[in-house]
Amino acid sequence: MASTRLNVPGLDGRCAGASRAAATLALGGADLASLAGGSPVASEFPLPAVQDLDRFENNVQELVKPEHGTTTLGFIFRDGVIIAVDSRASQGSYVSSQTVKKVIEINPYLVGTMAGGAADCAFWQRNLGMQCRMFELKNKKRITVCAASKMLANTMYSYKGMGLSMGSMIGGWDPSGPAIYYVDSDGQRTKGTIFSVGSGSLYAYGVLDQGYKWDMDVDTAVELGQRAIYHAQFRDAVSGGTCSVYHITKDGWTKIRGNNHYDMHYQYYPGGHPTAANDVI
Amino acid sequence: MIPHCQLPSHIATGPHVSPFVSSPSHAGRAEDLHVPSSGSSAPFSVAPSADHAEASAGAEPRKHTTYPYVTGNSVLAIKYKDGVLMAADMLGAYGSTKRYKSVQRILRVNDTTIVGASGEISDFQYISNLLDELMTQDFCYDDGCTMTPKEVHAYLCRVMYNRRNKMDPLWNSLVVAGVDKTSGSFVGSVGMLGTSYTDSHVATSFGNHLSRPLFREFQRDDMSLEEAVSLMQEALRVLFYRDKTSINKYVLAKVESSGVAISKPFALDTKWDLKAFVNPSKHAVGSW
Amino acid sequence: MSWSPYDLNGGTCIAIGGEGYCIVAASTRLSTGFSILTADKSMILPVNSKCLIASAGFDGDRSQLHKVLTFRSENYEHFHKKPMSCPAMAQMLGNTLYYKRFFPYYTFNLCAGLDDQGLGCVYTYDAIGSHERVGYSCQGSGKDLVQPVLDNQLKAPSILELPPKVAVTSLSKDEAIETVKIAFSAASERDIYTGDAVEIFVMTPEHGVQKEILPLRRD
Repeated sequence: MASTRLNVPGLDGRCAGASRAAATLALGGADLASLAGGSPVASEFPLPAVQDLDRFENNVQELVKPEHGTTTLGFIFRDGVIIAVDSRASQGSYVSSQTVKKVIEINPYLVGTMAGGAADCAFWQRNLGMQCRMFELKNKKRITVCAASKMLANTMYSYKGMGLSMGSMIGGWDPSGPAIYYVDSDGQRTKGTIFSVGSGSLYAYGVLDQGYKWDMDVDTAVELGQRAIYHAQFRDAVSGGTCSVYHITKDGWTKIRGNNHYDMHYQYYPGGHPTAANDVI
Repeated sequence: MIPHCQLPSHIATGPHVSPFVSSPSHAGRAEDLHVPSSGSSAPFSVAPSADHAEASAGAEPRKHTTYPYVTGNSVLAIKYKDGVLMAADMLGAYGSTKRYKSVQRILRVNDTTIVGASGEISDFQYISNLLDELMTQDFCYDDGCTMTPKEVHAYLCRVMYNRRNKMDPLWNSLVVAGVDKTSGSFVGSVGMLGTSYTDSHVATSFGNHLSRPLFREFQRDDMSLEEAVSLMQEALRVLFYRDKTSINKYVLAKVESSGVAISKPFALDTKWDLKAFVNPSKHAVGSW
Repeated sequence: MSWSPYDLNGGTCIAIGGEGYCIVAASTRLSTGFSILTADKSMILPVNSKCLIASAGFDGDRSQLHKVLTFRSENYEHFHKKPMSCPAMAQMLGNTLYYKRFFPYYTFNLCAGLDDQGLGCVYTYDAIGSHERVGYSCQGSGKDLVQPVLDNQLKAPSILELPPKVAVTSLSKDEAIETVKIAFSAASERDIYTGDAVEIFVMTPEHGVQKEILPLRRD
């Protein structure tokens, strides 16, 4: 879904730069963490001194082959939020891991999902966790999902055009009820009821849209999420591994399911898949 | 003036295989190199500083080294029983022209260390200045100890890596050798990307392909000075026979616990009276 | 021919975590293009008494990364009066790599050690800092050859399945060391950048870190 972009050269960069500067002021500059030997939470990353940064970043992306490829989904319903993810990471055509944790537990009542670049998602959502905690300390109350997703979207916007790759859902339960927001590295932030993100998302949407009802009970909802991920893993080459399902209520999140694709396949098709050659000659 | 001539790709051992170029065999093969035009489309071509918002409007863009002009070829170094030996020829080549024939490519840093460089001579002159400043600082400390070869090597590694980070490399392959009373002999190398290693024998540029096998076969840490010099001469001879951009004028430097000694330039005996050279076209049958 | 700030210096590394031990092994060949620069360059940094870091990829970035980690680890010890635990080091390595997101360290890392329960922990990374705890992993030029051997020989559960299990392999220490040796022998047959020798570091609560060297093919 191509969106029209204002092609003003340097506009993105200048806007992005300005919002990065604003973010530095907001965070208050100096960082105790860096004094204690921890990583400085950088609003400014060192850049290579090249003429064509985009070309450089593209070449670097091919060279370092960061881990990509996924199916994640999330939806809200009467009894909370369901988040379901797969666990495969690929570097090109090499399966670099089958055990990636794609649900990032930001705090006990907020989770984020990982799709796109694994490092980008993991780093910026951990950063979001820090920002949420600072909010709690400053305001003596929990942050809403709306505000948390806005913080992440602002950060993403400030690095717009620099090659970050993140397609994430921020899900949680706040005083206004269950909520799920889609945030990506283009700066998009959308509130919604059902989302699926990643290379296998189209397969997951098919199953989700068919089985979704607002007033499902919890078990039906969990099963729906798992089945959608299973079908996406079955058909998408870069999704696979295990399926993890989280349920978020007003008391926080719990991990409900963690099943291997192999086990799910024989659970759903005990006699083998209908299109597979099941008779051995 | 840009040389319109072939520049062998082995000069100044850099990344022979750019990960962005698919052909693997650059080793020792002369290729036509096109001088990149300014405003190059190469992905790693460097930003003139005028691109950065902070630079003042009228400033001249700073140029970065993207291409070597006057270059030196191989530097060899080996350990022997009492110390280390380093050798290099005295050529500063301008493309394939043998332009400067008295270039001293081995530098005495202090009483324990020597540094040799292949690659861009002007960058080596800059490195010489840096080492000079370093030794002056050492002298001013006046604390009874001088920089050891290992420390000089570590310093040069950081210098080369940091220049690479600025996308403005010093186009050299350096060899650091010396003898330190406490830790013994040291021979190490640093490339223009900051790749570094230490070993009993080291060679840069073409020497890596031609001389290193000789060292692997014959070099021993307990060889005598005579054996080491003889091995070094063999290695230099092989380079003179087979490296087209080389001359028969060498400098040999030795470091022992007593100090550094750099020889006067010398030449090696070479054989050109092979029967095939007498009548070169005798066996050249050809196809038409 | 355009200049690139990156180069591939080859080499393979493996890390395995088990009950009461952790093994980190790496080949010692340093190459560039089709040349071998030296046969005994170490890829492993014993950064503190609790943790070992192995990095494959580009040697210049590896040297710098190892220096940065050593500095930060020692700084931490000065401030906190204790060495960084392996999980803490793992997170710091991830952040250090991500800090260079727009001009990455071209290193593929493994961080391994023993956790508070004395179980081996192994963290595997991509070049920009994405990491996860696993029971075993390999990185480097021979990883496509070695990873299937490890998948076949070592049984380590997935941390994502419920009920939750810790990601350590069920093999004994000696069996795991044997597997490492076999894997490297196999890799050195078919990967030109793996060879000369392997350094094998074994960390146990009783004996600390012990090192062994296994010679490999030199061709």
